[in-house]
Amino acid sequence: MTNKALHLDDRLFSDKKLYLPLLAVVLVLPWLPMGIAGPYIIRIATLTLVYMVLALGLNVVPGFTGLLDLGYVGFFGIGAYTAGLLTVYYQWSLWLVLPLAALNGAVWGILRGAPTLRLSDDYFAIVTFGFSELIILVIKNELWLTRGPMGVPGIARPDFFGIALNQPWQTYYLIFFFLLLVLWVVVRIRSSRLGRAWFAIREDEVAAECVGVNVARYKIIAFALSAAIGALAGAFYARWFRFIHPDMFKFWESILILCLIVFGGMGSITGALVGALVLIPLTEILRIVLPSEFSNARYLIFGLLIVVMMRWRPAGLLPLEKD
Amino acid sequence: MMLNTLFDQSSLFLQQLVNGVTLGSIYALIAVGYTMVYGVIQLINFAHGEIYMLGAFLSFSLVTGFFGIGLPFGLAVVIAVIFCALAGVLLDVVAYRPLRRAPRLAALITAIGMSIFLQNLALLIWGAQIKSFPREVIPAFFSAPALQFGDVVISWLQVVILATAVSLMVILQLIVHYTRIGRAMRAIAQDKTAAALMGVNVDRVVSYTFALGSGLGGVAGILVGLYYNAVYPTMGYFAGIKAFAAAVLGGIGSIPGAILGGGILGLAEVFGGGYISSSYSDGIAYAVMILVILVKPTGLFGRFAKDKA
Repeated sequence: MTNKALHLDDRLFSDKKLYLPLLAVVLVLPWLPMGIAGPYIIRIATLTLVYMVLALGLNVVPGFTGLLDLGYVGFFGIGAYTAGLLTVYYQWSLWLVLPLAALNGAVWGILRGAPTLRLSDDYFAIVTFGFSELIILVIKNELWLTRGPMGVPGIARPDFFGIALNQPWQTYYLIFFFLLLVLWVVVRIRSSRLGRAWFAIREDEVAAECVGVNVARYKIIAFALSAAIGALAGAFYARWFRFIHPDMFKFWESILILCLIVFGGMGSITGALVGALVLIPLTEILRIVLPSEFSNARYLIFGLLIVVMMRWRPAGLLPLEKD
Repeated sequence: MMLNTLFDQSSLFLQQLVNGVTLGSIYALIAVGYTMVYGVIQLINFAHGEIYMLGAFLSFSLVTGFFGIGLPFGLAVVIAVIFCALAGVLLDVVAYRPLRRAPRLAALITAIGMSIFLQNLALLIWGAQIKSFPREVIPAFFSAPALQFGDVVISWLQVVILATAVSLMVILQLIVHYTRIGRAMRAIAQDKTAAALMGVNVDRVVSYTFALGSGLGGVAGILVGLYYNAVYPTMGYFAGIKAFAAAVLGGIGSIPGAILGGGILGLAEVFGGGYISSSYSDGIAYAVMILVILVKPTGLFGRFAKDKA
């Protein structure tokens, strides 16, 4: 630890000792001997990267602005269905579908966020929760558009300007590229004027307003960015998994993503990454290791983890400030 | 011919009314638990729905001998309700009390964590399959019709549900308004610090509040388990959301509000499902919840303002 004053988040892109080994591990992973990095391992690694993107996106609202979002999976679902349906109906390229999905996510983020600007903590949480449940209900019932409970099968794989990406390692690198992109955006914004405005709102909304921070505007930007990132992850997920179903976007998915950032430390970018890195492979390991009657109930551990973290490490494993 | 259809229409309407009131009285029982806890410690107790689920599972297990011994129906119900009340107190002491001075968000997240934990614990113990009460263990008269006007049937079970809910609400009002502990609850709801300074033992009163609310939630769980004859681990999730919406509609923190909200929501669900769209009947609760919070966060009778204190 040469530079104790700076949080890990600030050193993420500037400290070579920190990012070079990480980058090496991530890039080499698919090329490890097949015994270690079989298609299954790459699948879990890809899933982990998807959840890293989701954790970074969710982190923007509860972590940066201090508002508890209990319906994040709604944006994941909007992104997945936007991309999935556009692909199935029009066979558009990933590079057209992805920005559209992110844009659609941002629009819904703003639509959901605008009426909630004046709400206090728990009421905001309830509205976000109700909103995502309504989204899923619409997806489930509007058969003409979404095929409802039948799901959308046979979504085309991601493509790279006309070339289909069929190999697991190709999609793995693809989501890694998107993760780096999202990471770069949130790290840059965090230390910008915008990031400082969000932190001011998180610490004390009234005080922030009093010193001239346009609270409404900055909150709306946070909602839009967070939703866009969630939808981006959803769009990739739809093209990667090639099947989407309303049941994939249930309430406890929101809680799982929340659990990732609570574990790592709310507001901490590295915390969000570490949370996903530890917990997502853990769920997959539990699924295999536990007998089936226990593996259905493996989310018990997440419930317990949330409670224990709030009690003894409320700031998470990588807290923003050391005391 | 026309007249016949008219009669069919009106008897359908009456039947829906009866079903709606029954459902509403159950929502009211659960909603009271949310609203009482919110009144004293300003916490949305997300795990309240799981206490309700626990009530259904415990009564089911006790009457069917899931734990080894089968008890008579009445005794099983009483034990299940007492256990729910204790579980509520335990929930508060273990999970929420250590966070009283922490930021509100921490307690809210803990409540969600407890909800997930308890739901999965039930899944582990009882499995995901829907359980139903065997015919021979529940009193036979429940399924018999109590009253019948033409096509409109009110079953004894509906009468029992309504009578239980109404009498429990009356008892609750008496406790809140005419006992020492009730006065202490109201004092804490008004001003926690001042109440503590006047010698009210806040922790003890909060425990009583959890016991009362959770006991009522347990009763509701048992009644629903009997009414739909279905007990499963996620039942608390859906009922919890609807009851919470009822509490918000009535004005969170207000007991009469929760009762009225429960009634309105029960009717809205049955009539909305019957006359508008059955696939969206679950959505009514969410829509009501969001609209009330956005338009009038204090609900019908609420005292808690939307702005930060």
